[in-house]
Amino acid sequence: MVQPQRRALHPRNAVIAGVLLLIGVVGAFWVPIYARSAPKLGDFPFFYWFQLIWMPVVMVLCYLSYLLLRTPRSQRPDDSVPVESGPIEPGEAR
Amino acid sequence: MNHVNAVSLTMVIILFVVVTGVGFAAARWRRAEEMMHLDEWGLGGRGFGTFITWFLLGGDLYTAYTFIAVPALVYGTGAAGFYALSYTIMVFPIVLVFAPRLWSIARVHGYVTPADFVKGRYGSRGLSVAVALTGILATMPYIALQLVGIQAVLIVLGVGGSGSNGFVRDLPLLIAFVVLAAYTYLAGLRAPAMIAFVKDTLVYVMVIVAVLYIPTRLGGWSHIFSTASTHLAATNPKTKKPFGSLIVMPAGYWAYATLALGSALALFMYPHSITGVFAAKRRDVIRRNMALLPLYSLVLGFIALLGYMALATPAVRAGVKAAGGNTQLSVPLLFENMFPSWFAGIGYSAIVIGALVPASIMSIAAANLFTRNIYRDIFAPGASPRTQTRVAQFVSLIVKAGALVFVFALSKQFSINLQLLGGVWILQTFPAIVAGLYTRWFHRWALLIGWAAAMIYGTIQVYRQPLPGVLGSHWGASSAPVFGHVMYIAIAAFVLNVVIAAVLTVVFRLLHLPEGTDETLPHQYSADPEFVARKPAVAATAAGGSPGPPPAS
Repeated sequence: MVQPQRRALHPRNAVIAGVLLLIGVVGAFWVPIYARSAPKLGDFPFFYWFQLIWMPVVMVLCYLSYLLLRTPRSQRPDDSVPVESGPIEPGEAR
Repeated sequence: MNHVNAVSLTMVIILFVVVTGVGFAAARWRRAEEMMHLDEWGLGGRGFGTFITWFLLGGDLYTAYTFIAVPALVYGTGAAGFYALSYTIMVFPIVLVFAPRLWSIARVHGYVTPADFVKGRYGSRGLSVAVALTGILATMPYIALQLVGIQAVLIVLGVGGSGSNGFVRDLPLLIAFVVLAAYTYLAGLRAPAMIAFVKDTLVYVMVIVAVLYIPTRLGGWSHIFSTASTHLAATNPKTKKPFGSLIVMPAGYWAYATLALGSALALFMYPHSITGVFAAKRRDVIRRNMALLPLYSLVLGFIALLGYMALATPAVRAGVKAAGGNTQLSVPLLFENMFPSWFAGIGYSAIVIGALVPASIMSIAAANLFTRNIYRDIFAPGASPRTQTRVAQFVSLIVKAGALVFVFALSKQFSINLQLLGGVWILQTFPAIVAGLYTRWFHRWALLIGWAAAMIYGTIQVYRQPLPGVLGSHWGASSAPVFGHVMYIAIAAFVLNVVIAAVLTVVFRLLHLPEGTDETLPHQYSADPEFVARKPAVAATAAGGSPGPPPAS
């Protein structure tokens, strides 16, 4: 899996990252999930605390995706601009 | 409200002067050998790391929209205004997927604007001009929103908006504007990037203090929510319906979800957000930022709650009423009533500077678009980088003047409509840009026709919406009933756009209409090259991404 130039991105990682991100988006898009006032957290109706807590959850999801999709840099700065990069990232390509 | 609070005003003036100094000093920051190049003036040398990009994109995305327009909407309608929170939750996972590809292809080919990419990808000048014009058009109401935010603060400070003479009344706003235009002209993207540090420090201090301190003055969150709920349930004399509710009602689900999704898809189509992306040093900077930027969204959530705090403060309600129901004043009035004068001054400064930073970035981005995709591509194909930069500097001034037209022409009852109107337009460039990052399946002319149809449909729909309770008025709202559901017009137009583009692509394929040349290669969409600063001698290549000598950084 580790190549001399650049570690190829495993397709499974791209799929997992995609699912994580989708969960984050759907949790905010599907309004009926959180359009209710109970249960309250302190004085905050559910509608408010759910969204405020979903935000850090999405941060974690984004960070996990970042780790999954990260492709370490391999070129030296003295390469000229249009570089030959490694394999295209699956899941992103096409 | 007409008295001038000397202490607050002094704080605002001091901080404004500091920021102005930083803005002009920024011209010397990370100075490159050749400054008269759009990579320098328009993209800050394409060398911003995670830290600066975070501040820059944050300064870009959280604006007077956040500090004035969203709390005003929450103050006026309750839960419906919280779509903004949902929108900023959704935006980062979405952008994390495609922004790195956009960054890579722009870096390899030296693209400065999204329209540069569209031109390179589809070989279609018509489509790239369409994208450029949309970007410029959509940016203007967004800049106008920043001005409305500054105006709201000035009114509460007692130095604007209430005088009898129109010129004297708007003088402080014009001064702030001219100063902004001057350092943007001089320092380019370096100015807002540097000021963003000051701005965010002020914003975070202001929000933390407000969220911890104001509820103690108002008898706790429970009292804030219950008072707000009572006031929202009252009947609006104009519409004969309640003002709003504390929880979104089922009839409002579609509007809430589509406003959030539409805004999220639109945000990174705005030229100023894309400018922030292109200015990043490395590909990973983008993704890492998408995991860090939601911190701003959390702040946005709390700022939105300021709308309820304002609603629970009798003096604010009286002030808004006295100003003819101008809900934009709710947050500045809240500060005036809750904080000692000097701290209110810091809060006002946070709002004013928070409006100036994005206004500067937006005008730079719109100027880049005009210069690269209209001036150079249509009128002066041989324009040197130096000439291009000159033109961009000049256009950045024109764009700001154009924004003033929106300020004076459109209703300010809910300034958020300015941003939503921009969203209706800019979202129509999404198919060409984002689909283009993944596939050449769409035919360039199909995309162009889909874009045109959606722009016309969206504009007419928004034009037809009256202000709540005012018959015969126009540009009053950005949501409308479509197939029985009230939804954000941008999303309806977007669906129309994609359907037309897809159908016509099939037709044009069958007719074998010319496809246009694609100058991009598949592997370039995941490339991560170092940026090579251009030396004056080799600066002539425009879009080729000419390799220069080894980089200085």
